[in-house]
Formats: sequence, structure tokens, C-alpha cells
Amino acid sequence: MTLLRQAYLLLRKDLLLEWRRRDSLLTMFFFGTLLLFVFHFAFDMPPDKVVELAPALLWLAFLFTGTLGLAQLFQAERDNHCLDALLLSPLDRGALFLAKSAFNLILMLLVESVVIPLFWILFNLGSWNLLPQLFLVTLLGTLGFCVLGTITAAITLRARARELLLPLVLFPLMIPVILATIRCMEMVLRTGSFGDAIAWLRLLIGFDVIFLTIGVLIFDWVIES
Amino acid sequence: MRLTVKQLAKAYGYLWALRHFDLTLSPGEFVALLGPNGAGKTTLLKLLAGLTPPTAGVIELDGRPLTGTAIAERGQIGLLAPAEHLYDQLTAVENLRFFTALYDKDSSASALDSALLQVGLSTRARDYVGNLSAGMKCRLSIAKWQLLDPGLLLLDEPYGVLDGSGIDLLENFLKAHCARGHIVIMASHHVARALKLCDRALILHQGRLQFDQRKQTPWPAFEHAFGDFLPRSGP
Amino acid sequence: MERSTKTVKRRKGMLGVLALVAVVAGLCWSLLVAPPDAYQGEVQRIMYLHLPSILTAYLSYFLVFIGSGMYLWKRDNKDDLLAHAAAELGVLFTALTIIEGSIWGKPTWGVWWTWDARLTLTAILLLIYAGYLMLRSSIEDEQRAASAAAILGILGFLDIPLIHMSVYWWRTLHQPPSILRPDKAPWENVHPAMLTALTISFVGFLLLYFYLLSLRYRVGEMRQEIKALRLERGV
Repeated sequence: MTLLRQAYLLLRKDLLLEWRRRDSLLTMFFFGTLLLFVFHFAFDMPPDKVVELAPALLWLAFLFTGTLGLAQLFQAERDNHCLDALLLSPLDRGALFLAKSAFNLILMLLVESVVIPLFWILFNLGSWNLLPQLFLVTLLGTLGFCVLGTITAAITLRARARELLLPLVLFPLMIPVILATIRCMEMVLRTGSFGDAIAWLRLLIGFDVIFLTIGVLIFDWVIES
Repeated sequence: MRLTVKQLAKAYGYLWALRHFDLTLSPGEFVALLGPNGAGKTTLLKLLAGLTPPTAGVIELDGRPLTGTAIAERGQIGLLAPAEHLYDQLTAVENLRFFTALYDKDSSASALDSALLQVGLSTRARDYVGNLSAGMKCRLSIAKWQLLDPGLLLLDEPYGVLDGSGIDLLENFLKAHCARGHIVIMASHHVARALKLCDRALILHQGRLQFDQRKQTPWPAFEHAFGDFLPRSGP
Repeated sequence: MERSTKTVKRRKGMLGVLALVAVVAGLCWSLLVAPPDAYQGEVQRIMYLHLPSILTAYLSYFLVFIGSGMYLWKRDNKDDLLAHAAAELGVLFTALTIIEGSIWGKPTWGVWWTWDARLTLTAILLLIYAGYLMLRSSIEDEQRAASAAAILGILGFLDIPLIHMSVYWWRTLHQPPSILRPDKAPWENVHPAMLTALTISFVGFLLLYFYLLSLRYRVGEMRQEIKALRLERGV
């Protein structure tokens, strides 16, 4: 219970800070939108090709915006050495992990809930009725990204050039999530239902559960490192 | 609260920042930590606070080693570094509310207001901490640790930014804190002030503990050690 | 003390000689004794290097995992040295595997690289552990670098089955399975001389691996000894 109460306190604090500064959210949102334009110029796709490429392009955009968010994730704690203040306190390190993961998840979901419909509008896609299924896949994938991303953001916290190091360490570990979400979304777009994609969904859920558990268990070592 | 330190050492690269450090403190002791710049004072405070892993040695609180302490016991150590450990984009009262809630202490509005009143910040309670002056941030830190009430309070050069009334405030708080059986360790360059408050003085020099004695008046041994390790400036 | 280091040195030398003998024997067997492959001809002989090197790389990553876990648990520098040494060798053997695979792939498939499940997986492993080495080298404080790397050593190893699963599904759901199907046991329809050559080669690689590991581990130890000596002299 203490774990959840402390996680809630931290999350509320982070959301309040974000509400006042709006640094991460605005940057992530504009960067995500910008990428859609870049993709359009880079690929110049005919409408039937867009459906095929949509999942990959969307996930590329989410990966990049998500990494921006992760690079900023511990910024509030870096200013004034506030991380030290948290480490001094009787805070369960697992709560810090949960709060930071949830915070980045909220930011990314906010961005995604704008970027996905925007993608549909900009690329003239018709299948609006499939958006709920796509959002479910995106939610599971984003959760996995945030969970593992929070751990990697924390271990690169005291490294030189940590913003550059973070994606280098994170992306290879994220391959299962990247593959699973893209294939899953592709299948939904092609066939209109999950069908064979259920196996991919299971893999995603497995990934989320495994790294969420590991994160809570080892974050003590992660953050003290 | 009883603090025992055995053979504590910390190396940065190829240099010992602190070495062969032993110390035992009993409840209610006020220790002045003196020494020139680079003597290892801040390193020692960080080690005691558990913010830096020691290269060697053991720190024990009430007989239990500091590493691997249960979560609830971690809140027993406070570190007052002026103008640090506060969130700039939260107001003064929001900072206090966040930390008291985190420590599971009384975070009611009346408790926070009276703490702010005591340090003379009630008019600035709703200002962002980023907009407060350094001295006011230090006063807010005093209010914070007053509310959190740690069994071992470490201070890193608290005098620098405080005005006269701020200094009185700090000293009264520290005296009251010790009177309740808590331990205070204060690193400072204001030797005269530190000596007036303390029960015991430590002098660090190049990472070694050179002097450790309970206070006496007069105190020729201290004068002697002080002359050796803290050369006065000017004629 | 002196005698024991001498024995260790002698044992290490013997391990090196054994490794050399086994590797040479493996080469002889795989180049001269084993018959050429029925379909691929002489090119297939590269398998006698390819398979042992990837298996050795996996062993290496398992050792990284064990060393990392032990380090976080016991905080003994020796475990960290083991993890670090194993990670470097793992990267070396993975890179070797990819190079051998490319040389093998060009005549058989007509391309240097194909996005086959196993090739992709091997490349991802290389990226993960290259990231591990970069992370290590970019954190100043040695203890912190060790713990951060240990976390990554654990995460990376636990991720391997998931990556394996996803990459394999990705390929099988998209294009016909390649000739390296994992559902066919290697000893079916294989000439016994081929199996012998593979076994000898594998033993040779294992001996070579442990010889290199002991050397790399010793380098880490010596680095620590130098640091300790310089620390002694410093203050």
C-alpha cells in the first residue's frame, strides 16, 4: 500500500510540474507531428501503400517522441539535486519506478491520441472504425516502452552524453515490442480483426508484465547505481 | 539514535577523499565538522547520508548497517544543504506538503502554515521556490527538516546565505533538535559560530581525521590543532 | 603466496596449450577428415567454426548474467570483473559469428546478409552488448558503472528469449523458413565424421574461450591492483 501511495504522490508531483512547465509534452507533441510531415515528404505514398506502411511510420514516430520524453524524465530530479532528496527519504524505490513509468506513459498516450487521428487525416485513411483496436495495441506497446525505458533512463542517468547513450541501450532491448506492435497493427489494418495477431498481443503482455515486475524489484539497485 | 562509523574510506579516481575514518556518536551530540576546502567534509556528509557508496568501511545506525536498511529507517537521516533539494516549480507550501507526505508526517495545512510562520515565510508561502532568494530557500529548508524531524541531521555550510535573524533561527532549531536526543553534524567554515554551538569538534585535513575532542573551555588542544590545519588568512 | 601465483600461471599456460591443441585438431578434423556437404560442398565446412563461436557467445552472455546478478547481490568486485570480461569476449565471438556467417552466406544464398531470424537475432545481441560496454565506459565512478552495467547485463539476458521469439515469428510469418530451421535436430542425416569434427571444434573453442577469459579477467585484476598501489602512494 505504501508503494502505491508513494507512487501516487510522486506522479501527482510530476504531473503538477509538467502542467506548470509543459516542457516535455509540448516538445513531444510537436516532434511527433513534425515527423508525420517528414514521413510524408520522404515517402510520397499512394493511398493503398499508406495502409501497409502506417504501423511502421506511427511506431517510428512514437519511438522517437518517447525517447525525447525519457531523456527529460529525470530532469525535475536533477535540478537542485532533488533526486538526492528523494533517495534520503523513506521512499520505496519501486514507487519511484512506477511513478516515472506512469508519468511517461501518460505523456506518450496524450501525444499518441493526437498523432494517430492526425495521421489518419493527413494520409487520408478510411478505416476509422479500427482505431480502438489500434489504440489497444499502442497502449500495450507504449507501456512496455515506458517500463523498460524508465529503467534504462535511470541507469544512464549518471553517464556522460546520456541523451545519446539512452536510445543506443534502449532500442535493441525494445525489438520485441517494436516487432509485436507493428505486426499486430498491420494485421488489424489488413484483416479488420486481431485473428492471428493474438499471439503477438500475448507476447506484448508478457513483455509488459515481465519488465514491470523486474523494474519494481530491482529499481533499488538501479537508482542507487 | 546512535551512529557508529568504522574505517570509512572513499576514493575518487586515484585519490583518497576520505580514509581511515572512525567515529561514534551518542544521542544528543552536536558535532562541528571543520577543515579547509577539499578536506573531505562534503564527501563525509554524502557518505553518512548514504548518497555515495563508500569504497570501504561500515556506517551503522543504532547497530544496523546503513546499506540494506529497511525503507522506513531511511528517513532517519536528513541533509540540509542550503538552496538545494527543493522543487523550483512548486510553491513553498507545496514543497513542504510533498515532503511531509512522503515521510508520512503531519502534512495538514495548519502544521505547514505554522512551520512557515516560524521561519518568517508565511507571506511567501504561495510563491514558487524558484523565485525565492537563496536565504529564503535556506529558511524553507530549515522549516522542512523541522517538520521531518530526522534522528541524524547533517548540515553542509548552512551559514553562507542566511541573514542575522536567519542565523538565530537556524541555531535555535539546531539546539532544540539536539535537546530532543537527535544528533547534528554541521560542516562549516564559520569556526567561531560552530564552536559556540557544538559539544564536540572534528578537524578533517586531506581526507584524514586529525582532531576529535569533546568541547572544553579553555581548549588549548583545539587552538593548537586549529593553528596546524586551518591557517588563518592575513597577518 | 608466490607459489600459488606460480601454480595459477602454470595452469593458465597449460589451458592455453590445450586450447591450441584442440583448435588445431578441430581444424584438421573439419578440413581434412570430415566429408564435404552433400548439397553445399566445401563451403559448408565453415559451420565447424560458426556453430562453436555462436554457442560460446551465448555461454559468454550467460556468464555476464551470472556475474551481474552476483555483483548486485554480494557487491564483490570479482563478479563485476567476470561480467565485464565475459561481455567483451561475448561481443568478440558474436562479431566473429556474424563475419563467418556472411562468408558462408555469400556462396550459399548469394548475398552477404539476409534478414534471417538467426542472423537478425545475432546482430541484436551484438548491439545489446556493445551498448553494455559503452555504458560501462561512459560512467565515471567505477562502482556506479559496475552497478549500472550489471542491471543492463540482467535486462539484456532476460530479454533474449523474448527477442528470439519475436524475431522468429516475424520471419516465419512473412517468408518461407530459411534452411537454418531450428525444428530439425542437427544429428539427423549427418555423417558421423562431421559430428566428431564439430565436437572437437566446440571443445577447442570452449578451451580457447576460458583461456581468453582468464587472461581478460587477470587484466581487470591488475588494473585494480594498479589503482590500489597508486592510491597507497598518493596521500
